[in-house]
Amino acid sequence: MAERVFITGMGMITAIGDTVAANLHSLRQQQSGLGYTRYLDTIYREVLPVAEVKHSDEALKEMAGVHGLPQYTRTTLLGLIAMQEALQQAGINDPQQEPTGFINASTVGGMCDTERVYFDLIDPAKDGTFLQYIDTLDCADSTQRIADRMGLTGYITTISTACSSSANAIMYGARLVKQGLLRRVVCGGTEALTGFTLNGFNSLKNIDRQPCRPFDQQRNGLNLGEGAAYLMLESETLARENGSTILAELSGYCNSNEAFHPTAPSPEGDGAFTAMQQALAMSGRSIADVQYVNVHGTATLNNDVSEGKALQRLFGRQVPPFSSTKPFTGHALAAAGAIEAIYSILAIRQGIVFPNLNFSEQMEELEIVPETRLLEQQPVCTVISNSFGFGGNNASLVISKYEG
Amino acid sequence: MQPLEHSNSNLLKAREPDYKAYIPANSLRRMSRMLKIGLTAALKCLQDSGMGAPGAIVTGTGKGSLQDTERFLKDIRQYNERALNPTPFIQSTYNAVNGMIAVQQQCTTYNNTFVHRGFSFEHALLDSMLLLQEGTPHTLTGAFDEMTEEHCFIKSRIGLWKTEKVNSAQLYDHPSPGTIAGEGAVFFALSADAAAQSYARIAGLQLFYKPQPGFPAAALSAFLQQHGLTPQDIDLVLTGRNADSNYAHFYQQLDAVFPGTCQLPFKHLCGEYETAGAFAAWLGAHILKAQQVPQQWFPMVQAFPRRMERILLYNHFFGEQHVLMLLERAGACGG
Repeated sequence: MAERVFITGMGMITAIGDTVAANLHSLRQQQSGLGYTRYLDTIYREVLPVAEVKHSDEALKEMAGVHGLPQYTRTTLLGLIAMQEALQQAGINDPQQEPTGFINASTVGGMCDTERVYFDLIDPAKDGTFLQYIDTLDCADSTQRIADRMGLTGYITTISTACSSSANAIMYGARLVKQGLLRRVVCGGTEALTGFTLNGFNSLKNIDRQPCRPFDQQRNGLNLGEGAAYLMLESETLARENGSTILAELSGYCNSNEAFHPTAPSPEGDGAFTAMQQALAMSGRSIADVQYVNVHGTATLNNDVSEGKALQRLFGRQVPPFSSTKPFTGHALAAAGAIEAIYSILAIRQGIVFPNLNFSEQMEELEIVPETRLLEQQPVCTVISNSFGFGGNNASLVISKYEG
Repeated sequence: MQPLEHSNSNLLKAREPDYKAYIPANSLRRMSRMLKIGLTAALKCLQDSGMGAPGAIVTGTGKGSLQDTERFLKDIRQYNERALNPTPFIQSTYNAVNGMIAVQQQCTTYNNTFVHRGFSFEHALLDSMLLLQEGTPHTLTGAFDEMTEEHCFIKSRIGLWKTEKVNSAQLYDHPSPGTIAGEGAVFFALSADAAAQSYARIAGLQLFYKPQPGFPAAALSAFLQQHGLTPQDIDLVLTGRNADSNYAHFYQQLDAVFPGTCQLPFKHLCGEYETAGAFAAWLGAHILKAQQVPQQWFPMVQAFPRRMERILLYNHFFGEQHVLMLLERAGACGG
């Protein structure tokens, strides 16, 4: 019998808060993090809303405790801040006492900083301190800097499957624990806003000029966000040995592929359906046990049709309350899966269902509408969290209340 | 077997096949070089294995489609963020090759991409081995990386490459700071059970991140012991030596642990890149199946073993990510 995997710590920073508690507060206040960028150099500065973390790189360096040290990109800084909280909350002062793995997720690595110096890097006539950013071009850079700073020495790696990256990082970490390669692993992702991704999604005509409206008939695309989130996963044996505080159980997961199109999901939501169905089967829970679905809900035309149809196919007439929290945080790409996994844990621990902001009109393709109210004192024991990405990469996680 | 090729450019380019045999012409036009190389290597592997649609697709890449990333960065600047063609952005996504293989094979199962320098391929392999343990019947597991002139220049600015041009066939005669660059794509069909056409068995895999001084002598011994082996049980050592004097001390420790064992270097064939370990695994698997080393590729090696049961691979990427892999002749230990 494989080990059960428990979540024993979490840390995050997003546009709606620098900590898990601050995020919860903003969710309860229904306070969106969307606005116009202060830090990104783009012609869309006052055109495309983004959910930006409300601190300059300098301020983030202070928060991360690396003031005066070069080469920490915004991607790394966000990750460090979230990681420090995750380790602290897990009660881990010395990660070296028990080999601790780190499975990170990133879509474009340190692009936030390298895109500013790229044309100097390729110009032989230019020389200067910008050369220190050469190592930050890839996705491994932030992972290794965070690992080195925090003393994480177990399995160290980085996953990139677009918008499902950190859900896959959580899944891979859980499997390493289940098969006994590690007893403790911290998983999640980090993402900073970049001109590269903003222009990428904009070139796909996927960005709404208004705050995004998931599952609304008038929705017109996503808003990008940034942030980082990490979850500490421990084997049941270790959690009991150490008397760890168990926040929730990761009871099921599934990675499936659409095999349909490079950037669009299948219209009937085949991949989303399979991911949710198999994750739920693995968790040993039934559809009646699911009290909340934190949907991917990017508010792109395609995603919401396909994900909505998948929900209808899986749950039939009894679709549980569901909402997209993207109007709060924007779509933080590689960090999104981990951010939303933490929100799912908060839903269970606080007994709440988060509202789907900016919804007013039911989609003509669907029979269901998202939950628009903040529901308190709900019995939430099992949550499905969805992350779907480019390349048809779909991932669903099932998170359950810890019942002993 | 082809003759040994060499280059004086300090950058070993992948030899590209005639893609038309693998990819329809209308698809080819839209695909960038990395996607063509990656997809073709995957399709060649699937053809060779006869496995049909794979049970999972898992890959590693250090840089993904570098040309697309470079192109989109330039497009943003050139067109001042307006009316951009999304294709390079889509293809620059690290999982683009995986997505394309999945569509081509109609493979709707597990799909993952690792992007961590010298661990990219190795974590793809580890993930695949976990999948096989969990009951996935077979996996398509691979790695791909490309190198551009532009990126080669960028990395030269932090001293990754030799400043003097060397003939790749004589790489090991030129110890100095830096090495020569490379690229390539390799795919493997993996299954939990040996079949008649199996190349080799992956009997062990261990990864070391920024190990302590003194590595790898003790780690090598411990690794062998863990597999119930002594140095004499290893018939051939594949070494990632690359004539980079900054990190040569790691590879030099192989000499003391394996005195008298034949060591085959491979970086003069593929150059240095994040997923060069996949090339070495491919080479080792071929040698085990053929029970013969392609000797014309190794003029620097004096004597070759006659029979080969086990190959040990030791490789690292610029001193940070170190990998030990044990390959055995398929069926040698009951599969």
